[in-house]
Amino acid sequence: MTGEGGRLLEVRDLTVSLQRMTEDETILDRISFDLGQGQVLGIIGEAGSGKTVLARALVQGLSEPLTVTAGRVTYRSRDLLSLGQAELAKIRGREIGYIGANPAGSLDPTVPIGAQILEKLRSVEPGLGRADAKERVLEVLAAVRIPSPELRFHEYPFQFSGGMMQRVMIVDALVSKPAVLIADNITQALDVTVAAQILQLIQDLRQAFSTAIIFISSSLPLVSRLADEVLVLQDGRVVERATPSALTSAPRHAYSRSLLRRLPRIWGGAIEVPQARPAPTLLEVADVAKSYRVRKKGSFAGHNEIQAVRGVSLEIREGETFGIVGESGCGKSTLTRLLAWLEQPDRGRIAFRGQDLSKLGPAALKRLRRSFQLLLQDPYGSLPSHMPVGRIIAEPLLLHDRCRRAELSQRVSAAMEEVGLDPSLETALTVGLSAGQRQRVNIARALVLEPKLLILDETLSALDQVEQSRLLELFDRLQRDHGFTYIFISHDMALVRKVCHRVAVMYLGRIVELADNATLFDNPGHPYSRALLSAVPTLDEHPFKTADHLLDGEPPSPVHIPRGCSFRSRCPAAQPICASGDPESRPWGAEGSVACHRPGAYGSGAISAMLGPSEEVAHAQSA
Amino acid sequence: MYWVSMLLRRLLQGLVVIFLVSFLIFTLLRVVPGDPARLIVGGMAPDHLVEEKARELGLDDPLPLQFLHYLGELVQGDFGNSFLRPKSGASFGGSAYDDPTRGERAAVLDLILDHLPLTLQLAALAIVFCLLISLPLGVAGGLNPGRWQDRLAFFTGSLFVSVPNFWLGIVLTLLLSVKLGWLPSIGYKGFGYAVLPAIVLAIEMAPFVIRTLTVSLAHVMQQEFIAIAPVRGLSRWRIVGSHALRNASVPLMNLFGVQLGTLLGGVLVVEFIFDYPGLGLLTINAVLQRDFPLIQGIAIFISAIFVVINIAVDLAATAVDPRLEY
Amino acid sequence: MTLLATPGEAASASPDRTQALSPSGRMLRLAWSQAFFKAGLLVFSLLLLTALIYPEVSGVDPTKMNYRARLVPPLFFGDWQWAHPLGTDQLGRDVFVRCLVGLRFSLLIGGATVVLMFSVGCGLGLVSGFKGGWVDTVIMRLTDAQLSIPMIILAIAVLGVSRPTLPAIILVLGLSGWPLYARVARSVTLAERGKDYVRGERVLGASDWRILLLFVAPLVLPPIAFVAVLDVARMMIFESILGFLGLGVQPPTPTFGNIIADGRKYLINAWWIATMPGLFLLVILTSLNLMGSAMERARNQVLKGGA
Repeated sequence: MTGEGGRLLEVRDLTVSLQRMTEDETILDRISFDLGQGQVLGIIGEAGSGKTVLARALVQGLSEPLTVTAGRVTYRSRDLLSLGQAELAKIRGREIGYIGANPAGSLDPTVPIGAQILEKLRSVEPGLGRADAKERVLEVLAAVRIPSPELRFHEYPFQFSGGMMQRVMIVDALVSKPAVLIADNITQALDVTVAAQILQLIQDLRQAFSTAIIFISSSLPLVSRLADEVLVLQDGRVVERATPSALTSAPRHAYSRSLLRRLPRIWGGAIEVPQARPAPTLLEVADVAKSYRVRKKGSFAGHNEIQAVRGVSLEIREGETFGIVGESGCGKSTLTRLLAWLEQPDRGRIAFRGQDLSKLGPAALKRLRRSFQLLLQDPYGSLPSHMPVGRIIAEPLLLHDRCRRAELSQRVSAAMEEVGLDPSLETALTVGLSAGQRQRVNIARALVLEPKLLILDETLSALDQVEQSRLLELFDRLQRDHGFTYIFISHDMALVRKVCHRVAVMYLGRIVELADNATLFDNPGHPYSRALLSAVPTLDEHPFKTADHLLDGEPPSPVHIPRGCSFRSRCPAAQPICASGDPESRPWGAEGSVACHRPGAYGSGAISAMLGPSEEVAHAQSA
Repeated sequence: MYWVSMLLRRLLQGLVVIFLVSFLIFTLLRVVPGDPARLIVGGMAPDHLVEEKARELGLDDPLPLQFLHYLGELVQGDFGNSFLRPKSGASFGGSAYDDPTRGERAAVLDLILDHLPLTLQLAALAIVFCLLISLPLGVAGGLNPGRWQDRLAFFTGSLFVSVPNFWLGIVLTLLLSVKLGWLPSIGYKGFGYAVLPAIVLAIEMAPFVIRTLTVSLAHVMQQEFIAIAPVRGLSRWRIVGSHALRNASVPLMNLFGVQLGTLLGGVLVVEFIFDYPGLGLLTINAVLQRDFPLIQGIAIFISAIFVVINIAVDLAATAVDPRLEY
Repeated sequence: MTLLATPGEAASASPDRTQALSPSGRMLRLAWSQAFFKAGLLVFSLLLLTALIYPEVSGVDPTKMNYRARLVPPLFFGDWQWAHPLGTDQLGRDVFVRCLVGLRFSLLIGGATVVLMFSVGCGLGLVSGFKGGWVDTVIMRLTDAQLSIPMIILAIAVLGVSRPTLPAIILVLGLSGWPLYARVARSVTLAERGKDYVRGERVLGASDWRILLLFVAPLVLPPIAFVAVLDVARMMIFESILGFLGLGVQPPTPTFGNIIADGRKYLINAWWIATMPGLFLLVILTSLNLMGSAMERARNQVLKGGA
């Protein structure tokens, strides 16, 4: 074994091509780096830069048509790429562990997780007895803080949430005590607060298991928080190698600089945020609730009630951009459906310009529908694949305005021009269009009726950053030209910071905080808002230290909502009073409100009790 | 708990299905032309005898009443009596209306239960043959999409599915039985008589198994958990043997549930060709002789089997893949 | 991004002519690219043309008896007489021409039946999947019930007690085959119903029928219709079985089923009467099934490959 700081893994001129009938395309181009004992090497790259291919190429994990065409990967003086299956089996999975981006799909869905980790452990360490192996698996399950490991050992992958499943995959990788861990985008599929937990966990385990880590991610803030050294990958090539502080303060390569420049800024003096201003109310939502009945598993006629939205009240002002944020399962999609009047609320009322939607007849409702449009998240599922672009954009006109053919095509062309679509696309099918173009078609279809209100349901989250900022400009221009009002539903705090005048934060079907942009980001009243903000990956200097605001556990299921304050079970500042009752909304900040018994209170003791001993040190250092 | 509630729910659904089947087949047989009373007493019988018979059998009552009457007996496990078959067994037609043996007609349920074992034996043997043919082809095809194994599975499937079963029966009889004398074929005098019909049935079913297995295995092999399994340290043998095949077996089980009807239809024709005295032959003869109670009884009995087997298939599939619990 | 998605993504990013085509267009192109499809199409077209032309041109009457030319063996077993390529039967009728005329009926019945079961099944399936609720429950229990009686029992039960005429056969086969189409159409419609474009239409204020007819049906139906060729072949087999049992189109019109049933009686001394028509049927069905399976593969590839 090489000594402390010695080289564990040496990669030299690693080249991977995608083999096609006619020509080969180079996916990775002469990648070289070293990984030392216990070192964390960050690799940063955007989608399509070849990060995942690199992660798998290191362990001979590529399959056709991808092939390694040149280079060496040397692990402790053995060339991994030329090893036979038998030799490889002694290293892969045993000394080099791998965790992927998609925890939900990483294990056989039909076998309990414990059995699969056991199977893996005994495959890579054939000498290990069954009982010993199981003991070790349980040990590591406990080490990643999976509650009641003995019970969960026998559960199936689908019974785990995304965050818990990622912990299971960490166990799967670490159970053989590997010297190298390849973590490929492991927080990508997770909500920010859960991702923050996982990241914290990796930091702790790194010490406990003294494992070297190759940490691959598309998020520069994440990588720089964890890594000793960072490689910047662009189009399959390493363009820069530096320490995180050097990279973020003085990037040498143009691409690194552009990466840094494109990072959304959330805090800091130089940024400008939208200011809320008074305006007449456009859409009024009063105490709206919606629950669904789903059949209870294992019962003959029993039902569970999922309380998706529990008493939401808000007022959207004319001409503003109103943000709704929250993590998956918080009820924002249900709320969106209610706002778009796709579903009717169980109670409460929604009024558009004073007209209660539930009181309108079908004809009046259809007329009113001209005024509010929904822009959807998925640029692929939202367009019918059998219709030409022009026909899709004309659909609202055909439904609402019986206008002449000439006028129709003229209005369609005008809408296409307004959103920046090439006129030649009018007769094209949507098949070959990019995600950005597809969203533009959606936007054109929405604005052809000249509506008042646009509901943007995660409209930008499927797009890359460049396209995102272009569409944001478009939205901004449309708001200025037409006086549009936007409801902006998103999980991306950085986007919300950039565009929203006022923001509502949702948790378990309620609005826990409603505030103007400045108040929410600089002085939030609710502990959940602070937790969300602390978990946002950013390089900005900001007032919310992760360790102070890290949440405990996972969001409860909307079937079993905790009594008292529903956030109590994860709140770092929870006190006995929080169990007493669901807190009423109370004023906070300039014109906001917050639903918390102790708004503005910080958690103190709770957090260190929850984290392991290693954290306490880190916590003390950061404090 | 889950099993009990699931069984209850499925049994209730099954009862609805069986009720619908009885209703469907009952009305169908009543609205098509053909007078059962005339059939029973014989073509040459005088009209008053026909009318008397019709009254006796309740054929004069309005249709809904007849159906309710029939259901009432069905619930007590009484499928009624055959129009034509005597208790002793062999069927006879003829037009003699004063035949004394007519009084003693066989109970439909007895007839069905008498013929069932031979059919079960045939079906079981056919399934074994079918798996022998299709498992190797399907697994090889699914593991090597686009290669020659896949093409072979593809072509064999397309060829087998194109074979008319009755013709294959004739050809195999001619070759293996008449020319070569390897296997007995017509009638039933022992287990050997089940082999040829089972081969024909197996070839009829094999294409479905081959296709499903190829497609589902190829699909499973593309799943993420299979792709990263070698990186986790599992051997190829383990990945295919204990994970890919396990996951690919669920669609196969569902296929069995859905294609049971095809299997039973095949049994019918094959038994007819080989004069194999099982349920299928009984059915065809019942139809050709217009023995309405027997046709009804068989249809309802088969739909009951169908319901039971589909519940069993669902239970088995859930045992393999617990995500299917609902 | 999964590993296996990587090559696919990279591949689809490259300029590709199929990119501009509608889903059905891409399916056709993919099907055409398979050798099995072309082979099937070639054989099928040849046989179809022969069936349409030869009986007319040769002037041989399929029902005309000729006692001087009874039980003539096929071309390649006898004296190479081109007059009767597949031999003659016990009445001296030309087996080849009888097969060709049988093929016409077989294709007619197969095609018409599939059209019928496609329309009924898909119509009910679309409504069932899109409307949900009690409509769905009723239609699905009906399909369950009908699927639980083997189709062939249903067909022979009805045709056995009534008179088998051409329309009756088509009606009975078509109506007994609809449930599978209903199930498939329903499950695809259920998936489509949740898609964003349906939500988008709803927000615009479109009626259910407009969404169903203008958006869902044009997306759901072509992939189902695409593999209906397989069922044409299946129905042709059923038609021949009915004929064999004496429940098909009645003699003297020749059908594969009744020719084989007749020939079976002379199996020992004139084996070709029963076997040749079957072989002929096997060839045409294989060609159809090769085309159908290739189309099915192409469809699955296109549907799996995303929007």
